[in-house]
Amino acid sequence: MEFLGIALSLIGAGMAAGMAGIGSAMGVGIAGEAAAGVMTEDPGKFGSCLVFQALPGTQGIYGLLTAFFVLNKIGALTGSLAVVTWQQGLGIFASCLPIALVGWMSALYQGRASAASIQMIARKPEEMGKAIILPAMVETYAVLALLTSILMLMGVQV
Amino acid sequence: MGVTKLKKAELYYHKSVRSAVAAALQQSGACHIIEGGPPSQGRTDATSALAECEERLAAIRYLFRVLTPFYSDPASSIGQALGDKPVVSLSDLEKTAAGTDLSALAASVRSVESALSDLRTEMSQMKANLDVFSNIEDFPYPLSVLTNGTAVLAASLGTIPEQNLSALSSEMAALAQRTELFVAAPKPQSKKDAPAWVVLMYERDVAKDVIDAASRCGVTLVPFSLGTTVPLGTTVPLGTTVPLGTTVPLGTTVGTDAAKMSGAVADEEAKVAARLRECEAREAEMLNGLRRAAAVHMPTLQRLSDYWGMMAERWQAMLEGTETEAVCVTSFWIPEAAVPQLQRQLDAIGGVALVASDPAEDDVPPVLLHNKRVFRPFEILTTLYAPPPYGETDPTPLLAPFFFVFFGMCLGDAGYAVVMLGVLWFVLRKYGRMPSGAREFLILFVLGAVSTFIYGVISGSFFGDFIDAFPSLPLMKPLKELKDSLMLIDPMKDPMRVLVISLLLGVVHLLFGLAIGAYDHIRHGRHLDALGDKIAWIFFVGGITLFCMGTTNAVSQFTGSFGGSVAAVGAVLIFWYAGREKKGIFSKALSGFLALYGSTSYLGDVLSYSRLLALGFGSAVIGMIMNLLGGMAAGIPVVGWLLAVVVVIGGQLFGLLINVLGAFVHSLRLQYVEFFSKFYTGGGVPFRPLAVSTRFVEVK
Repeated sequence: MEFLGIALSLIGAGMAAGMAGIGSAMGVGIAGEAAAGVMTEDPGKFGSCLVFQALPGTQGIYGLLTAFFVLNKIGALTGSLAVVTWQQGLGIFASCLPIALVGWMSALYQGRASAASIQMIARKPEEMGKAIILPAMVETYAVLALLTSILMLMGVQV
Repeated sequence: MGVTKLKKAELYYHKSVRSAVAAALQQSGACHIIEGGPPSQGRTDATSALAECEERLAAIRYLFRVLTPFYSDPASSIGQALGDKPVVSLSDLEKTAAGTDLSALAASVRSVESALSDLRTEMSQMKANLDVFSNIEDFPYPLSVLTNGTAVLAASLGTIPEQNLSALSSEMAALAQRTELFVAAPKPQSKKDAPAWVVLMYERDVAKDVIDAASRCGVTLVPFSLGTTVPLGTTVPLGTTVPLGTTVPLGTTVGTDAAKMSGAVADEEAKVAARLRECEAREAEMLNGLRRAAAVHMPTLQRLSDYWGMMAERWQAMLEGTETEAVCVTSFWIPEAAVPQLQRQLDAIGGVALVASDPAEDDVPPVLLHNKRVFRPFEILTTLYAPPPYGETDPTPLLAPFFFVFFGMCLGDAGYAVVMLGVLWFVLRKYGRMPSGAREFLILFVLGAVSTFIYGVISGSFFGDFIDAFPSLPLMKPLKELKDSLMLIDPMKDPMRVLVISLLLGVVHLLFGLAIGAYDHIRHGRHLDALGDKIAWIFFVGGITLFCMGTTNAVSQFTGSFGGSVAAVGAVLIFWYAGREKKGIFSKALSGFLALYGSTSYLGDVLSYSRLLALGFGSAVIGMIMNLLGGMAAGIPVVGWLLAVVVVIGGQLFGLLINVLGAFVHSLRLQYVEFFSKFYTGGGVPFRPLAVSTRFVEVK
């Protein structure tokens, strides 16, 4: 039982980085397909397409950030593991859920919104400002989830 | 504030000076041509001039398409966009335009292109033939059997699955006297289940039986059309009117004629291989010719592309407006301040009358933003959304301070700010002739970097926790003391406080937006709208904020309860005025409740500002992670320190790029979604003057 706390924390960290990363990979992939389609017509749009493709990538970073937070908390980075009870471990695990779940789904849907925006600037490059806001609306929830995860993590004393 | 006063100008001029007038309007770069007017007869000079421009541009586009792959442009496209392009005088451009026969150049390039494609068709056919030869290398008869046959004999070439061979042999054996089957020895390197190559030879009068038998056994006939003759290489006149480098010598015709393929397989194979090498050499020669042509002509073409593009825009503008037998009228919008200058230029032409008047009631003038120097970089944020309608408030100076603060909080790292300032300083210095739009955009980031630096110092973030992570590096000790003494808040240790500050900034932002909305309503005499839709909400949101601060003892009890009462007054006002356009007590009450329910959206708006904390946090932690990884790498023996430097620098640059994008997008979103929804709808038409806009050269 003595390592259950650590194990739960590590599962949490893994899910945060893993699931948010999966979501970002899917989102960036979807946006990338759309970007490649647009660039076959006009390779000059590479710059703006890249911006749109990068947008759903942040969730993966948020997940990584949360995972590092957890690893740092349980001392996995310095090599001297802290003593984590199973209750604390469960708390840390729960803290990872917001960014793991929301990161995954929001990146996926942000990828779709990005792809649509890429189509939009293909026809109307001057509407870049509006096009960039639409996918950014989706990211709000990933930002909120990150905030929730971090505040929760800070609440768990180890 | 912010929106330039425009005059509506009508310009009357005699047809004979149309060209000069058009040039003057374009040179001034201050005239937004009003489109429309019925297409009238007799504007043949403008129409034909435009058609000429379009024709030239089509030729240039074609030449660009063909020659660009062969041309390495010494000027980078980023450099061009930042204004690093050669300066050319208009008269030089005109001279070049007059001295270049674009259609002849296009025609000669087109003929090279088509010769090249013919050559490639032929080459692929030769390759196909070589492939066939390699499979029937041991065919004992001359190839003429296959290509021509004799009076009685014909032959067909085909492939057959290995296991069907015996069936085919027996079918052929039935006609043994009149046929012969040749089975090629399998190539040593061919795959295991590769089909066998066969040649069926037969007397012509049993052809049908043989072919039927073959198809029963699964033979796939391979058409062996050895060489349709492609007229290869009529020498292309690449240097006629236009000095197109050297003439590309295309040599004499090489024909591959099926009838000539009569020798043994090995002989013919050698001949085709030799011809193929010849063709390859010729192809390389042609490609070199195109490369030389690109090197010689592309710079000229780029200039002409700019020139004819400019002329096309000019004549397009001249097609708007009306005209009579001899007099033309062109209408446009022009900034009031630019009128005298244009008047002088037009007076120099003579025979021109300019009438400038204020916009009429039903006119929709375009919008040209003009702000104080310090706000000018922020104009692009307004334009990206949509400019305000003419005569309405320009939100640029209103959003500028908030964008400045928000960007700083989202990026929030002094180290990143220093790098940004360094890079921007370099770019701004290097590209002195940058177009003003690009320059203002970069200056926006300079301002953002300044704000980032300030917030980075306040929150003690320098490349994340670089100063604390590597205490043994030189200079770190005094830096740490400096950092600690300047640090006001630590988001890592006390995130709640930063969260509250973020949300309070949000409340201020929203209340400010509502106040502008109220001001706009009052200015247009809609006092009830101002009270019911804006001021009531200011009371409500502001009051509740004070009340909440009271409960957490951030302000005195008295102020808190005062806030509560203000909020109550606000709620009553909202409820009361919500149904002011409805009839009947029930629908009025229903509207009131619905309006109060709208307070949830304000809650959402305020909470949205928590991203200021989250994103600032994000950049600090990414920096921290990179330092941590660098620290770990430094532990590796011998190469550790080098690895650490690479990891830290690469990682921090990555963090910088990702976070600058995030900080820009999210600060912008807070303006567009939370702030603008309180007072601003945009809807203006941007001012787009007829101007000299070029891509490759700068016209003096």
